[in-house]
Amino acid sequence: MAALGARRLLRPGRRWFSDTVPGAPSPPGSPLYPPVVASITAKSKAAKLRRLQRFNQRVHEAATVEEKLRLYGKLQRPKYMVYPQTFALNADRWYRSFTKTVLVPGMPPRAAAAKPPVATAGATSETGRAPEPRAEAPGHTEAAGNAEAPGGAKTPEPSAGAAPCPDIGELRSLACDALLQESFYQNKKRPFLYRDQDHTPGPFLTQLVSTLAASLSGRNPLLAASSLDLNPEVNYYWHHGNEVVVHGHRKGRVDPVRFQIDDNPHLQIRVPKQLPEVVPLESDLGDVPVIEHKPSKLPLFKKQYENKVFIGTKVADPCCYGHTQFHLLPDRLKRERFIKERLEDQIEVVYRSNGIASLFAWTAAQAMYQGFWNEADVTRPFVSQAVVTDGKYFAFFCYQLNTLALNAETIKNNPRKNICWGTDSKPLYDVVEDGNVKGFNDEVLLQLVHFLLNRPKEL
Amino acid sequence: VFPGVRQAQWLTKTKLVEGLPPAVQGIMDNPALGLQELEERAKHMVSHARLWDTAEAAPKRERYCPMLFENLIHICRLMSGKYPSLSKRMLARNCRIAATWERESILLQVRGLSGILMNSMSPIAPVASKEEILATKEHVLETFYPIAPTIDLQEVNVYKELNDTGHMCPLGFRDGYPYSHPHTLFFLESASVRTDRFRPEQLRAKMLMFAFGNALAKARALHGNDPKVLEQPIVVQSIGTDGQLFQFMVFQLNTTDLVSNDGVKNLVWIDSDQNLYERAQCVPEVKKGVVTKPAGISGFQPDTFKKFLALYLHGTV
Repeated sequence: MAALGARRLLRPGRRWFSDTVPGAPSPPGSPLYPPVVASITAKSKAAKLRRLQRFNQRVHEAATVEEKLRLYGKLQRPKYMVYPQTFALNADRWYRSFTKTVLVPGMPPRAAAAKPPVATAGATSETGRAPEPRAEAPGHTEAAGNAEAPGGAKTPEPSAGAAPCPDIGELRSLACDALLQESFYQNKKRPFLYRDQDHTPGPFLTQLVSTLAASLSGRNPLLAASSLDLNPEVNYYWHHGNEVVVHGHRKGRVDPVRFQIDDNPHLQIRVPKQLPEVVPLESDLGDVPVIEHKPSKLPLFKKQYENKVFIGTKVADPCCYGHTQFHLLPDRLKRERFIKERLEDQIEVVYRSNGIASLFAWTAAQAMYQGFWNEADVTRPFVSQAVVTDGKYFAFFCYQLNTLALNAETIKNNPRKNICWGTDSKPLYDVVEDGNVKGFNDEVLLQLVHFLLNRPKEL
Repeated sequence: VFPGVRQAQWLTKTKLVEGLPPAVQGIMDNPALGLQELEERAKHMVSHARLWDTAEAAPKRERYCPMLFENLIHICRLMSGKYPSLSKRMLARNCRIAATWERESILLQVRGLSGILMNSMSPIAPVASKEEILATKEHVLETFYPIAPTIDLQEVNVYKELNDTGHMCPLGFRDGYPYSHPHTLFFLESASVRTDRFRPEQLRAKMLMFAFGNALAKARALHGNDPKVLEQPIVVQSIGTDGQLFQFMVFQLNTTDLVSNDGVKNLVWIDSDQNLYERAQCVPEVKKGVVTKPAGISGFQPDTFKKFLALYLHGTV
């Protein structure tokens, strides 16, 4: 190129060697030649890089979020289908490595700090709050005497003096009523084969959540503006890591590993304002497991279909942030089956993998609805909660999404990790007999109430 | 064949009153309820059910009809933050109802899945005054001579009259159920094919029959099987919809003496064919480069939602 340039300058008519001032810059503004960049269509690594940059530029410049999502998922290739409810052994470790999530056992600190005021108020209430009028529990028999409340199963309920303390007795009776209606009082036909979950636990969960949310909406204005979805669809598509294409006409090329989650929670609550962050964006609370095998060893299978990103409604909905999801485990993942196959330790794995995968998909899809994606990482953490249950045992999860940048180029310099807090599964009740619920566990109910009352600080 | 509601009226010995009863109108007109803010939410809920609910372009009726119902009920339920006694209600889906009665020597029975039933711990107070009830004595039921009133009804040999307290429970629930008073029945016509759905007239007749069946079963559970005029009339409401058109009904059972054609009659107030919105356009319709119908919900009628909410709040407010 330099020789050509020189020859052009030596043509007659150009008296450059005497006239030009040495060091004078070329005409200000546009350079003389276009920038030297890689080709767009060549079969070279530089060309591939340039095509990728042009694609990223297109997505950055997309006018609306729908356009961004359309471009993000435009190219269809075979991808791994990740199922949140899976029987695969130790699936939660694999899912954590796919989504760069740290699992912290137990509930986040703010939950632990706020719970004692509700639970121990019963202990301190007799002395301090006895003279206060019981505005909320006029007719409850359990509320009659804290002193002579029968010990054992029922924990002493808090005296209903202060407004922030929900009346546990009333909520407990709501929960018991829902349970009894579905399992005992209503005349139903026999459950369909292998569809036990649709017969009793499913309707019970729906009733429980809808009545609890309604009665707690007075305390939590976020719930009062919420939207309840029954059986919604949640989808998310992402890339993580690189692999070499094994067979086919594209054999030998390096491709990102693509994943898709298609989830159907039983119930979800969406709100117009985001939940507050639990820990700051750059916190490091643990390690992400590293798995050296290919994802197909889990087992995970590939299929090529539409790349959907969906939180349950379209982008136009004002309730675009997630609050709580409720998942019902199907019959094929019953506890009894695991116990029969001598895989008792996998029972908790089922709950954890469901919580992690579903919440990652939901929070990441919420982030994409706000315009973030793996090249434009989130500037604020997205928090959502989930309850995974099989009708009797409840496990609670809280997820904070700190980063969406999981594909091979962006993960290199990304110190952020997503965090998931989760509990083990605990039973809500022991057994339902003759119109009575025996062994009702208030802690589980309290945790559920706490989840539902979660709201941003300014509300 | 016949306008369904008239036939149902004869079968249940009922007098029809157009429009909703004044008690329900009073709830609607009560400004303390803050119904204005709820209109915005109701519009969002309609948009959610009809437009935003699915990743595809437009949800089908089988999806959006129940979804719209769930959304509206969700808004109504959230009112229990303001009125805590609203939490004494429980929804029951797929409940089965059965009631048998005799009408001029014809044995009739109503059976089947009566949609979604909302039960409450306390009954609804009677909507019609004593004078109005006594005035129904003069009302003469329309007969369809020469057509028998049981035309188009299926003749079935009933071997077990399901009103026995014994093994079968006519109300669909066992004894001791705390939410023992049927409050409102909801009927969702959500079939995609138009011929599988009930037409509005037939839907109103179905609503009347099932409301009557529920009220009768409750009356017999409370007062026994003898036919008589009720001291405390039983009120059961009913709402039917196909996702856009709403039918509202309040039924008051005054008497279980159904054999004869004279005496006190039952009363029903019907408000029919209320549109919640005119049309829901998922994709804007463009003709020759000009947008003729923009995307979104057009023609939203807040009054229909107010009636829905008023019927929900009836009995506690």
